[in-house]
Amino acid sequence: MKKINKVSRHVTCPQSALTRREFIKRHGQAALFAAAAAKTGFFFSPDVQAGSKPDIAVAEGGAFEATKAALDLLGGIKSFVSDGNRVVIKPNMSFAHSYERATNTHPDVVRALCQMCVEAGASSVMVLDNPLQNPDLCMERSGIEKACRHIPGVSVRTLSSARFFQKVTIEQGERFRETEVMRDVLGADVLIAAPVAKSHSATGVSLSMKGMMGLIRDRGIMHRRFNLSSAIVDLCTLLKADLAVIDATRVLASHGPFGPGEVIRADLVIASADMVAADALVIDMFPWYGREVMPRNVAHVLEAHQRGLGRMDVENMTIRNVTA
Amino acid sequence: MNFRLTVQAISLGIFLFLLWSAAFPLKAWIPADAFIRLDPLVFLGTSISSRQWIWALFPGLVILGLTVVLGRFFCGYICPMGITIDLSDRLLRPRSREPGPFPSSRESGLRRIKYYVLFFMLGMALIGVSSVFLASPLSLVTRLTALVFYPFVILAGDAALDILLPLNMALGLENLAYMELTAYRFSTQWFIVLFFIAVFGLAYHSPRFWCRYLCPSGALMALAGQRALVRRNVSADCTDCGICRKRCPMQAIDEDAHKTFHQECIVCETCVRVCPENAVGFSMHHGEKGLASGRFVPQRRGFMVSALSGAGAAVLVHTNIIQAKTGTFPGHILSETLVRPPGALPEENFQARCIACGLCMKACPTNTLQPVWFEAGPGGMFSPRIRPRRGPCDPLCNVCGQVCPTGAIRSLELNEKMWAKVGTSFVVRHKCLAWEWNRECLVCYEVCPYASIELKRVPESGVPVPYITQHKCSGCGACEYHCPVQGDSAIVVGPMEALRIKKGSFITKGRAIGLELEADPDRQRKPPDHLFDRNDADGLPPGFTF
Repeated sequence: MKKINKVSRHVTCPQSALTRREFIKRHGQAALFAAAAAKTGFFFSPDVQAGSKPDIAVAEGGAFEATKAALDLLGGIKSFVSDGNRVVIKPNMSFAHSYERATNTHPDVVRALCQMCVEAGASSVMVLDNPLQNPDLCMERSGIEKACRHIPGVSVRTLSSARFFQKVTIEQGERFRETEVMRDVLGADVLIAAPVAKSHSATGVSLSMKGMMGLIRDRGIMHRRFNLSSAIVDLCTLLKADLAVIDATRVLASHGPFGPGEVIRADLVIASADMVAADALVIDMFPWYGREVMPRNVAHVLEAHQRGLGRMDVENMTIRNVTA
Repeated sequence: MNFRLTVQAISLGIFLFLLWSAAFPLKAWIPADAFIRLDPLVFLGTSISSRQWIWALFPGLVILGLTVVLGRFFCGYICPMGITIDLSDRLLRPRSREPGPFPSSRESGLRRIKYYVLFFMLGMALIGVSSVFLASPLSLVTRLTALVFYPFVILAGDAALDILLPLNMALGLENLAYMELTAYRFSTQWFIVLFFIAVFGLAYHSPRFWCRYLCPSGALMALAGQRALVRRNVSADCTDCGICRKRCPMQAIDEDAHKTFHQECIVCETCVRVCPENAVGFSMHHGEKGLASGRFVPQRRGFMVSALSGAGAAVLVHTNIIQAKTGTFPGHILSETLVRPPGALPEENFQARCIACGLCMKACPTNTLQPVWFEAGPGGMFSPRIRPRRGPCDPLCNVCGQVCPTGAIRSLELNEKMWAKVGTSFVVRHKCLAWEWNRECLVCYEVCPYASIELKRVPESGVPVPYITQHKCSGCGACEYHCPVQGDSAIVVGPMEALRIKKGSFITKGRAIGLELEADPDRQRKPPDHLFDRNDADGLPPGFTF
């Protein structure tokens, strides 16, 4: 579990020499560290780059506070949501589980996002998912609806009937080129991915990219007919989130997506305008199945990087930490 | 709208509301099974066949008691079966057909049938076989509504939502626009439909044919209400015009219109309304006043013969090869797939109590509870079984026992219910992707909420293969439901080792026999070391590339 220690050190004392040593050890090359440190200031205190927006924000604290703090680091929600925008938030609420099991997004992460979007002037905020289990039970037990329904302008819905979907062509898809997407997603101005960080038995990890599968009608075909990892990248060329906010307050580090599995309590929220980068950093931060995994070790993240959908070279990016 | 129609409408409304409310999660303040418990036959038949005084069914006895005073008011005002038949009569019965009198000999013969049915059923109950499901009006009408109308309405409602989507959106009715209905599917529907086509079709012969001639609950109440205290009486203003006799839906009025067959009268007061002279009223009387001479009640020999036939039929049921009756004959002819709901009494007691009303199946959130046909023997028709291929039994749901009116499925607290093992799964190796095809499939392992499936490495297969840990398997069927092979699952639940106890704690009993069905299905489980070998890149799930 040494890697978790490293993570907490990253966050609580970013200047720590131990962290650097460990980073070097992991990457096995001092040069990389030097380059990374010079370029990004990954391990320097936030003041060093005060004034510039980071590529990725990492906030530690309670789910609600950390979500707000992470967005503040990225320049506030207004950098993403403008007056009158229609916003769709895609959390994980596919399972009739409570949040402790880390299969669904923490309700307070979603609540914070909804609240910020409404405050930024969004005309409507829809929290949408196409659940794997009984929709009513998912709604009830995930706690997301209860947390958000009192915010005016916000609706939390699970959609699975054909009438809510529209067939579209995935122009930049290589193999997976046609699917049915929720109409509300197609009509939205802003798409926010708000997944929980978890492992996945078919894709290694399930983060913001994998989560986009919850906005289409037939996911089975992605498993059956295509290479799933490539199909996810194809899908994300169409459903590219404007903002990714990953709930790592609890991380399901093994036996995802259903669990129960190893749940790491990390109290972190990671946010970025680049969904690939957000995914990559989360992969980097935690031990998956008890092992150290690099972003390039996750097929769909690697492919997304190679196809220019986003960046997985987090060592070359600006990462800012804050304690909420 | 007259008083009776108003009461009937309210009654039907409550019946439908209660039926609709039988869902998970159950609203605690609504007794979803209340209506069924009003049926006196459910009380009497179930009490006799199960040899138990069942307090939950006491309302049926109260109705029977009230019948002594008020006559068959239940039939005329409350019974949803009667209301359904009234409605179908209105739709199907040609207006020109008067319910004209039959030759009294033929009439009285038909009217006796309901008593034969009643005594036949009571005869069966004496031998311990419940046939309440065959003819109890509340069981029948609940089954019709829950298993036939409900899925139908859901389907139609979904179609309507489809069509109205643009309109609802335009009107800003978002909650309606985004409404989704959970689809329900049931087996044996055609048999229920055919039965009711027959019942409704008999309207062609006479209105309320079922209530007049066949209904055993009606017969029971007829016996109780032969000399109802509140009864029809006719004043001297009567001109003997005969309109009341023609219009009486039950043909309860004698040739002499002053006289009434009270056991047939359902107090609908049609006679009061149609009388041109206002000569008819209902008021308190006793003794022989206004009593018609014929009673249409069979003689003692008729009762004896029907009760004995029932007893004989019950013996036949018991001697049927499929019928489960523990200890009376060697061998184990039990259906491989008859997995009963969690908390179901031991099979013999279960069948003695279950009236196959279908309420548990309506309430089941995963639609896994399905009616059986002859799978449980002739005494178990329409009783519920778990069909995991349709859906798993949710460990966090206990609604079936909560809505069961007779206690055939025990009402259990959630922690108790999780220990109510319904069966055990086993792997069908020749279909299993891991065992037969060397495919890295761990679906059953992943979805098992009780962590009862282990993946082991064996020489026969290059990939880890599933094994069931029998004492940890609750038989919930999550594995069977999620198994990705097509057609029948490669891992199926059988009734083996189902924990079925009449009373006492499932947890205590389960622990005593070595089960480990931990009360928290969401507990953490330690992944076996060999599953994802930390030093072996191939040991990780696909999706990683090293």
